Amino acid sequence: MRARLIFRRHLPRQYGHMMVMLLVAGLFTGCHSEDPKKTLTIGGPFEFTSLDPAKDGYIYTRMQLTETLLDVDAQGALRPSLAKNWTVSEDRLSWQFELRDDVIFHDGTPLDADTVIKSLGVARSKPGPLNKAPVTAIAATGTHRVEIELSAPYNPLGAVLAHYSTQILSPTAYAADGTVTSLVGSGPYRLSQYAPPHKLHVRRNDQYWGPPARIEQARYLTGHRAESRALQARSGQADIIYTLDAPSLKSLSSADNLNVHSELIPRTILLKLNSGHPFLNDVRARQALSLALDRTGIAASILRVPGSEANQLVPPSLRDWHLDALAPAEQDPTQARRLLAELGWKPGTSGVLLRDGKPFRLRLITYADRPELPVIATAIQAQLAEIGVAVEVEITNSSAIPSGHQDGSLEMALIARNFGIIADPLGVMLTDFGAGGGDWGAMNWSQPEVHRLLAELGAEHRRHEYLQKAQRVAQLLADELPLVPVTFYTQQIAVNKQVKGFRFDPFERSYHIAEMELED
Amino acid sequence: MTRPVKHLTPTQWAGALILGALVAFALLEWMLFDRNPARQQLDAVFALPSLHEPLGTDQFGRSMLARMGAAIRLSFSLSLLSVLTSALLGVLLGVWAAWQGGWVDRVLSFLLNTLLALPGLVLVLLLAALVPGSFAILYLAISLALWVEYFRVVRALTRTVVIGPQMQASRLLGFGRGYLFRRHIWPAIAPSVLALGAFGAGNAILALASLGFVYVGLRPPTAELGLMMVELFPYYTDAPWAIVQPLIAVFLLVLGFNLLAGKKHDITD
Amino acid sequence: MGKIVLHRLVQAMMVAWSVGTLTFVLLRSLPGDMAYRIAAGRYGYDNVDSAAADAVRAELGLERPVLEQYLGWLGDLLQFNLGTTLVSGAPVSQELQHQLGHSLLLASMALLLSAFIALPLGILCALKSQGKLDLASLIASSLLRAQPVFVIGLILILAFALHLGWFPVAGFGTALHLILPSVALALSLAAVSNRVVRNSTYEVLHSAYFEFSRIKGLTARQTFLRHGLRNMAVPVVACMGIQLVGLIEGIVMIESLFSWPGIGHGLAHAIFSRDVPMIQGTALTLGLIFVFINTLIDLVCHWLDPRDNRE
Repeated sequence: MRARLIFRRHLPRQYGHMMVMLLVAGLFTGCHSEDPKKTLTIGGPFEFTSLDPAKDGYIYTRMQLTETLLDVDAQGALRPSLAKNWTVSEDRLSWQFELRDDVIFHDGTPLDADTVIKSLGVARSKPGPLNKAPVTAIAATGTHRVEIELSAPYNPLGAVLAHYSTQILSPTAYAADGTVTSLVGSGPYRLSQYAPPHKLHVRRNDQYWGPPARIEQARYLTGHRAESRALQARSGQADIIYTLDAPSLKSLSSADNLNVHSELIPRTILLKLNSGHPFLNDVRARQALSLALDRTGIAASILRVPGSEANQLVPPSLRDWHLDALAPAEQDPTQARRLLAELGWKPGTSGVLLRDGKPFRLRLITYADRPELPVIATAIQAQLAEIGVAVEVEITNSSAIPSGHQDGSLEMALIARNFGIIADPLGVMLTDFGAGGGDWGAMNWSQPEVHRLLAELGAEHRRHEYLQKAQRVAQLLADELPLVPVTFYTQQIAVNKQVKGFRFDPFERSYHIAEMELED
Repeated sequence: MTRPVKHLTPTQWAGALILGALVAFALLEWMLFDRNPARQQLDAVFALPSLHEPLGTDQFGRSMLARMGAAIRLSFSLSLLSVLTSALLGVLLGVWAAWQGGWVDRVLSFLLNTLLALPGLVLVLLLAALVPGSFAILYLAISLALWVEYFRVVRALTRTVVIGPQMQASRLLGFGRGYLFRRHIWPAIAPSVLALGAFGAGNAILALASLGFVYVGLRPPTAELGLMMVELFPYYTDAPWAIVQPLIAVFLLVLGFNLLAGKKHDITD
Repeated sequence: MGKIVLHRLVQAMMVAWSVGTLTFVLLRSLPGDMAYRIAAGRYGYDNVDSAAADAVRAELGLERPVLEQYLGWLGDLLQFNLGTTLVSGAPVSQELQHQLGHSLLLASMALLLSAFIALPLGILCALKSQGKLDLASLIASSLLRAQPVFVIGLILILAFALHLGWFPVAGFGTALHLILPSVALALSLAAVSNRVVRNSTYEVLHSAYFEFSRIKGLTARQTFLRHGLRNMAVPVVACMGIQLVGLIEGIVMIESLFSWPGIGHGLAHAIFSRDVPMIQGTALTLGLIFVFINTLIDLVCHWLDPRDNRE
């Protein structure tokens, strides 16, 4: 009792002591061995959950932990990477790659033909761009020579070998069944801390075969909320922030500690439609939806990038597939209503169109990883309501789109499709518009001419014919609208002024950290 | 506590006035302006307040006046509906449990403890995940989370009344159940029920706004205060006057209800 | 005392049952093929086809009748088999372990801060009741209580992280990251608890035994320490129980806002991605923590006041 009394009498002082101790302890536990000055912090919206190159490989190539056989430059032309040169046989059924002999993986294993064959074999066994290619065999023809044999000529093979899913890992990275158990690559940076889904720390690889990186440490942080990312850029907590949202642009542009880069990339914001849906299976219905959209308003007021309206799927930077002469997309609600009336739709009492007692109701799904998508979806909802189409917007996870495609439940989806994901757009075209459509491409839409042309293009090496066929495919897509283009995508990046040598990759394969420098 | 409090304290008057002003705003907007809160005008985004648009427009060019009116009506109707339902349920069951005693009391108390075990928001989140975007589910979930408070308080108070001498006397004199309830039980529980109701309404509004924040509440283009806060937050530097509107509305609504609840029940929210 | 523990144990089982049932209903009500989603979570969306989905369906027995599946689901729950998340294929219990640590850190910091604010403030207000401090604290508390907790967080971010640049905006890792989220939570908790402390202290100060003790000849301070504290401790601690609800709800909001990788963030994220096993895991953890802390509070109240006068 007496002891308790004494304790209580000194309560205020003891309070104070405890508080100080806690604060000090807290500060110490938070200490990191990292020197914040020498660490480049990059923030983006994308989470990573697995080491599998097929799933989240793009983050690892962007952070320059892993590399692919070939590289692409800013114009999409193939360049050597782990393969120092390559040749294609006369009959174009065989590609030979000569590998560099000075590449060492992060665990000390040297790169040779066998390691490449192992990585490519695992990549090929999973569905992906390599799996879709008509590859019959991948074999070693020397300690540093690999030959890939095809059953039919396939032009995009080079671009496929620059895709992140075909990144080359050390043989020790794989378990017996082929799953990746550790991220051992060959890039200018090595993994130093792996904390999925939010944090990734990398450290300079001093045994890199290429020019050494200048920045010693870097890290990638996932930031879900776009406002948080913008705030991180403003406060200097992050040096580079990708995928900024449009509302933050004005305030960030006027901030004096950073520059905002706006880069048009070969990505298009488009509406994926279920062309098998009874309301959408007639091309006039899809055209009506397209005519109802106010693309100018969306580009100017929502994206704050006037002039980025899209009248076709493929952006101007992919020259072969872009129709220069196509007229700009007009907003014409009257024509839209007329087209729908032709199909038997009549205005109902609440303003929603009715046909055989069924209201014209559709479900639009989109995801919040890219901050502009939910906003554009809300705008599209209002614009379609003006012509009598009732749209219900559901903001969900991006995985809902492939799963909705596979089980047929998807009606409309707003997505941002990267037509440059494989540097040769033919790869994407084949995936999205080949027979059967694609998870992110056409759904329940079949156009034999398009399928035939795409198949031919894989082997077409005559320049003029290639151009002709590609343009024809683009024209058919613009006429039939299995996907309705909305706007072209501008990547907005905030770069702190302390970062020197910032370079942006329009194909989003690499953050080019090795070329940057941090000023004190 | 033998009579329900008929006179409000000054703080309660303040609360009532705040709420009255908001209700008046919402009703007047509905009657006089009646504009479509979902109609967009992309060439007039974030227009400053003017004669035509007294509260300006939002990021889609929609009338903030129309949206605020619709949102306040929604918050009021949802919270009052939830409070009424949960009060009715809680009072009926609480009185029944306390009066009847025995197994009824035990079963109901067991049920109560089960529901009390999960924090309200978690329960609401789970239910909202079942049927996202549905007003009905939100109403149901919030009512479920609220009714337990009524049950507990009403049951405790009713028990004291039931075993008290006044009620025993009336019973002996042969008065019926209705009379007993009106004369003895209701005056004892009324102040608490009313206070809990006011708090419950405030909490319902907070819950609705919080759900919108984690993308689990009502969906666009519904004008709801929490959803508006989430949608307008990215523009807080461009147009701070826009996000301030739902912020102030939520604040005034909840403050009004809290003040109305009265000082004595400061603790028992 | 044994009765308290038994009672709470039953409650814990009820929590597990209700969460399990609700998530099972959720699972069945989701559109689309569940087997496909699970397979995609394991192998990646690009790598899934109907063959993989069929394999998963057979493996997990998704074709059995509903009742059998329900019982199997509950059975798994009883054995603490929480399954794997649909997003990454990792075991749910592993994810929960990571998240739990973070949440506990945030929650304890917030509780401590709120106690540091509420206790001294409440006692002072009671000692000088009706004075300027009392009025100011009443107004401030009312103002704070009328906001959703994430608004408080937003205002703190705008003021301290952005304008003043003292703290990082979001994320975790250093002590600095902890301060804004815990202060936001602490403020919303303290807004209620400081008034509770004030009211119980006031009652104690003006109670009969207090006066009597003064008449006996003890100084105010001795009286307060010897008689007052223990008496006022009971409603304060009981109030902590009510605060707990606010704490858990606040954790969900604040973790979401600050991207703090705890259980609340996990729950919100899981609901967003319809990741049913994760929803079950996080909701269950939150519920069980709630029951556990309530048990502790019951035991402490019992120790403080063996008369168990409170309802």
